[in-house]
Parts: sequence; structure tokens; C-alpha cells
Amino acid sequence: MSAQMSPLLSVGAVTVQFDGVTAISDVSFDVNQGELLGLIGPNGAGKTTMLRVITGVVRQTSGSVRLEGRSLEGLPTHLRIRRGLALSQQIVRPFRDMSVIDNVALAAGADKTVSPVKALLHTGRERELKIGRDLLSRLGIERHADESPQIQPMGILKRLELARALALAPKLLLLDEPLAGLNSKEARLLADTITEINRSGTTVVMIEHNLGEVLRICHRLVVLDNGEKIAEGEPEAVMNNATVRAAYLGSGAAAATQATAGDQHAEA
Amino acid sequence: MEYEISLATTMAISVLFALSLNLITGFCGQISLGHAAFLGVGAYTAGMLAKAGVPFLLTLPLAMLVAGALGVIVGFASLRVRADFLAITTMGVGFLFVGIVRQQDALGGEMGISAIPDSGMSKLVFMLFAVAMAAAAALLSAYVRRCWMGRVFSAIAEDEDTVRVMGIDVPRFKLTAFALGTALAGLAGALYAQHLKFIAPDSFGFIESITVLSMVVVGGIGSVIGVTVSAAVLSVLPSWFQVIGTYKLLVYGGLLFLMMRFSPGGMAALVKRIFHPDRWGAK
Amino acid sequence: MLFVELIAQGLIQGSIYALIALGLTLVYGLLRILHVAHAAFFTLGGYIGVMVANQTGSLAAAIVAAMIIAGIGGILVFRLCYQPILHQPPFVPLIASIGLYIAAEELFRIIFGPSGLSYKYAFLQDQVVLFGFLRFKLAEIAVMLGSAVIIGVLSLLQTRTRIGVACQATVSDPQMAESFGISLQKVGDINFFVGSALAAFAGVMVSVLNNMVEPTMGSVPSYKALAIIVLGGLGSVRGTLAAALVLGVVESFGTIYLGHYLDRNAIAFAFLILVLMWRPQGLFART
Repeated sequence: MSAQMSPLLSVGAVTVQFDGVTAISDVSFDVNQGELLGLIGPNGAGKTTMLRVITGVVRQTSGSVRLEGRSLEGLPTHLRIRRGLALSQQIVRPFRDMSVIDNVALAAGADKTVSPVKALLHTGRERELKIGRDLLSRLGIERHADESPQIQPMGILKRLELARALALAPKLLLLDEPLAGLNSKEARLLADTITEINRSGTTVVMIEHNLGEVLRICHRLVVLDNGEKIAEGEPEAVMNNATVRAAYLGSGAAAATQATAGDQHAEA
Repeated sequence: MEYEISLATTMAISVLFALSLNLITGFCGQISLGHAAFLGVGAYTAGMLAKAGVPFLLTLPLAMLVAGALGVIVGFASLRVRADFLAITTMGVGFLFVGIVRQQDALGGEMGISAIPDSGMSKLVFMLFAVAMAAAAALLSAYVRRCWMGRVFSAIAEDEDTVRVMGIDVPRFKLTAFALGTALAGLAGALYAQHLKFIAPDSFGFIESITVLSMVVVGGIGSVIGVTVSAAVLSVLPSWFQVIGTYKLLVYGGLLFLMMRFSPGGMAALVKRIFHPDRWGAK
Repeated sequence: MLFVELIAQGLIQGSIYALIALGLTLVYGLLRILHVAHAAFFTLGGYIGVMVANQTGSLAAAIVAAMIIAGIGGILVFRLCYQPILHQPPFVPLIASIGLYIAAEELFRIIFGPSGLSYKYAFLQDQVVLFGFLRFKLAEIAVMLGSAVIIGVLSLLQTRTRIGVACQATVSDPQMAESFGISLQKVGDINFFVGSALAAFAGVMVSVLNNMVEPTMGSVPSYKALAIIVLGGLGSVRGTLAAALVLGVVESFGTIYLGHYLDRNAIAFAFLILVLMWRPQGLFART
């Protein structure tokens, strides 16, 4: 197999146990170059834990995670980010003491923040401000560039979070419930933006509860339930899968209420 | 005149010391309740070296080196703990320093070190030298604020987990803040030893750590000008007014409390509020 | 025999620490504040204890007065000093609290003089011998028994009464409790009252033990108590009790075997730092 054909990210037989409780059990999947992959499943399925394993916040008990064929084993989070990952967090956490543009510019200065010495020797940031402005206008929030994040509504903050992740120029963008906390119109618009980001060359993995948007924009789905992978494939095929239906319908009521709870959480 | 010169020297050393803590606590958000230990490490290093015949100017970089190295060690420890745990750990470091020095006969034990040899500078020249060092520290602080390191520091102060997912090596930046801040404290300590010619463990205890913290807090955490002014004023207030001298701790304690209770941003925030009331309201 | 004596001495010191640290834990659990000024109530308790005892000749009256006055003082500190700054970043109340404590210590010195006061009557100074070889002052036994009884009663109240359960719920999850209609104001008042009263009790007992109160008597216990609640895992009541006793014993052994290298405070903090390097979340924290 040539290098171009190999998957961008490869999760191999990952198991995670916390104090003897199994959160993820023997899950494997690949993310191909250029793909928009949806990682879905009822609440408590292990999706966020899986994301944390990929970013190195949680250590897997066994199994491997490879980016471009190279193992990420033992690398701390910041080095994984420098290998080409970026994470847009579910609960938006802008730096409130900086303006919107400063938030994005800080992320764009990755080559200047690579070590304290380099950071000490550089003051200018024209290039980073330009990258920041371009990203903000690409995401349609350039009007708010010089404002404080503290006064922005959730819709803007979600886009700021995304802009900050994109400023790292990632090979693989990880999105943790990007649409949570948005109304249906906002969610649709942001889903379109995510599609555009993906079309312009960034591979995306997204955890999302908004199944309507997931089915509309994702190329492929991986479904987790109770820490196990129960299905993988094209959206329509996956949703017709009996096991997936059982997982969602069986805990359908629970999933619905938890999804609303999640929304409220994000708005708070 | 001699008295004024001595006062100005005290002032300069305090400003230098306060700015050194401001780098760690103000810029990088890592609270320290034991910073006086590093003043002590610098003072003891310089004092012992001077007694061994090392020339004054050479004692300064060595004091910085030793204090900075210990600072990095404490910094490593601080990487394991956060926020309230960090505050208490650094407080522990302060008690540990005093507790160890007290029991070392080689360091003069309870009695400390006296008759530290003279720098060879006149009082006036020494004062100017101390002022120059404080000014250099202020310039360095102002520069750090403006460069990429300062931006990373303030981001770490606000939310280090998010800084980490931006691909930034948070521990290394924190250690850098500790190294810079404690080395500068070591420099202040070396000047302190030379200024007073006498040092004892109790001068570097918890009260001294709190005093320097109050200088930073009253000036406005992170504000270079605010901290400089407040350290200069607070350091000489007790000598200027005998009344304050007697009630020094009451005044410090009271100020610390009232500042936090009514203006947590310190003097810098107060001044901003007075001159830019609109900006304050727009928050 | 030295071994048993050291353990006994450690437990006596530990139970004094426990009384002081308990209030700190209650406050920390509720408000996430390191309440340094707490030790001011320890000192205040000592002063009130001496004054009332010297006036009335009754130690019981002294204890009751000290506990009630300190308790009310605690509520005032909660309402006037902490409540308005609870929404600030954590260093704000912490530094405010340190300032408050330093100012309070100075006030004691200014009001009562730097040299301290002592008891006119000798309370609990008799020696008793237990098991044929352990010598105690009566006051030392009173400290241990007193702490055990008070802590026992408190834990009964906490599990058996409505308000006790409410307090417990609030300490473990303030927001959740509030959504169940528990008043944070009320629970805060109770926590500060109880915590400060316990500190005052410890203050009276220590002043009896040493037959002396002085302005600075609270400083070392206050920093120690902070170390203890951190060791105990911050906010865990059982952890705090255990950590207090452990630290008391570590200190009493440490001063004998390490006293040549480190003083008592340094031993306590060296122990604290070592533990935190091994377990950054404290000895007894639930993970």
C-alpha cells in the first residue's frame, strides 16, 4: 500500500478502563484522507472518551492510535496537536481576557510558541493577525474580531472555537458536538460551514447528537454503544442497521432527554 | 542624605522583588505564597560567596543561578498540583526553606550571617546600581508582556487546558516563568544581603512572602507600572511614618483585604476605572 | 515505650489540628475558599477563654462564651467579607483572607498587648498516669476526649437531622443542593458558626494546656491546618480528620528523629510536599 492510500488516522483495538470499568472495548476504525466522519452513538457510548484517547488526554489501556502511520503512543496532548490534530471543544472556552481576533491569532502563532525561547524572541504578529482575520471572515464572524468574547452569543462562540482550531492548520480536525446549544437554523448553517471546511481539504471527525445534520453532511459513520463499535459505513446503510436501530430506539427516550440536557448545559 | 539613599535602595530592591513575583503570579497566573524563599536563597548565596572572597559583581549572577535552579525544581513540583494545592505547596516551600536554614550551622543557623564584606561601591553608587537593576527588571517585564511569551503566559493564567490543545507545551512555559521570576528574586536577595550586610532566616519567612504578594496585588496583578509603584510606596511607608511602622502588619493586612474586597484588580484597575469609566461600564 | 508516648503526643496534637482544620474543610467544601483567617477564631477563642475564666472562675463558662462569640464572628466574616467576592477568581478570596488574618493578629497584639495573658486559676493541670507509664496532663486528656465527643456529636447531627443532611449535601455539591431548595445563605451561616466555634474550643483548650494566650498563637496552626485540609484531599471531612491525626504523629516522630535537620513546621510541610508529589489530589481524596 502506498503512503497516499493509507488512512490519515487509524484507531486499532483501543480499550479503556477506569478503575476496572470498561469505557471503551476493543474499538477499531480508520479515518481516510479528506473524509468527513461522524462518530455517533447514544450518551455514555464512549465517544468523548474516544476523542480524549486520540488527543492524549486519556491513556488507553491497550490498543493503538496512529496518525499518518506513525504511532501517537506516549505523546502528550500538545505534541499530538503539533503532529496535525486540532480539537474544537464541546464547551466553548475562549480566553475571555483577549479579543476574538487575539484568540485566533494566538493559535495561528504555533511556530512562535513552539518553545519559550522562540516565544521570547518574537514580538510581531502581523502574519497571525492576517490568518486570524481570514479565518474569521471565512466563518462569517469578522465583524466581531475586535470585541470581547464575553459578550458574544453561543453561535459566535462556536464559530470562534472552530476558527481557533483551524488556525492550527490541522490535518485532522476533531469536533466535539459542534452543533450542541445551537437552534436548528444556526445548526444548519454551521453544518454547512463544516462541509465547506472539509471540501477545502481538511479531514474532519465529528461527534454529534444532531442526527439530522449528521446524516446530511457526513460521508461515513462509526457508531459506538456501551463502549463497543456496533456499526460502521455509509450513513444510510448504518441507520438501516438493526443493531443501530435497537441501540437508538431501545434507549430512544433516554437519548432524547439526554440530548436536550446536553443542549442546556452548553447554553449555561 | 545617607538615610534617603538607604531608603531609595530598599525601595529599588523591593520593586525588583515584587516584579519577580509578578512574572510568575501576575503574568503566568501561578500563585506563590513562598516567594521570599528565593529572596533568601539569593541572599544566602551572595552572602556566603562574599564572605568567601568572591567579588560582589560576580555574586549577583551566581545568586541568580542558584535561585533560578531551585525555582525550576519547585516549578517541577508545581506542575503536579494546581490552584489551591499549588498555593499551599509554595507556602510549604517557604516554611521548608526557613526550617532548613535555621538548623544549618554552616549558614549561621538562627543567628544568620553578619558582617558581609562590602561591595566596594559607595552608598550612592550602590543605590544607583540597585535602581538600575529594578529598572532593567521593569523593562524586561514590559518586553515579556509584549512578546509571544507574554501572550502564552496570560493564556495559561486563564485556562491552561485550552492552551494545551493549542499545541503549546504548558509545562515548559510555566517552568520558564518560575526560572525567570525566581532568578530575579535571587538577584534582589543578593542586593538585599549587600545592602543590609546581615541576613537571618526570619527575614525570608511567610510574612515576607505575603508582603511581596501584597505589593503585587495592591499594584494590580500583572500590571508592571502598578506593581512598580505599589512596591516602591509600600516598601518605604513604614519608615516614613512611624505610626505605620508600629502598625505595619495591620496596614498591610488591612490593605490586602480591602483591595481584594473592593478592587480585586488592584490600583491599576482603580486608576483605569477613574480615567476610563466608560470602558469599565461596557464590561 | 518511647514509641507509644510519641504516638500519644502525636494524637493529642493531631486532635487539636483536627478541631481547627474541620472548620476550614467545612468552609472549603461549601465555598472553595482557603479560609486562612479561620485561625483568628482560634486565637479569639483563647483570649475570650482566659478573660471569662478569670472573671468567673469557671472553665465551662469560658468555653461556652468563646464558642458562641467566635461562632457569631464567623457568620459576620462569611457575610461581610466572603460573600461579596465569591464570584472572583480563587486567589481573590484567598489573599483577602490572608490580609484579614494578618490584620486580626495585629489587632490582638494592639488590644491585648504583645506579651499575652495567662490564667489566674489552674485548670486541668494535674498529672495522671495511664497504664502505669503514660504521663498526661489532665488538659491533654480533655483535649482528646473533647475533640472526640464534639466530632462524634457533629457527625450524628449531620446524618440524623434535616439541617445536617442539607449541610452535607451542600458541601458535596452546592449547585445541586441549591436546586433542591436548600438555602446556601443558611448553610453558609451554619458552617461558619460551627467551624469558628470549633476553632474557639481548640483555642481555649490550647490556652489551658499552655496556660497562656498570645497574639501569634494562631499563626502556626493556621498554616498547618491549611496543609492538613490539602493533605486530606480538600473538602473531605473524614480525610481531614485522618490527615490531622497523621500529621500530628508524623510531627511528633519527626521532631525526635529529624529535629536536627528540620524544625517542626518544616517537617510538616516537607511531609505535605512529599505526599502531594506522590498524590497531587491529597491523601484521602476520592478520585
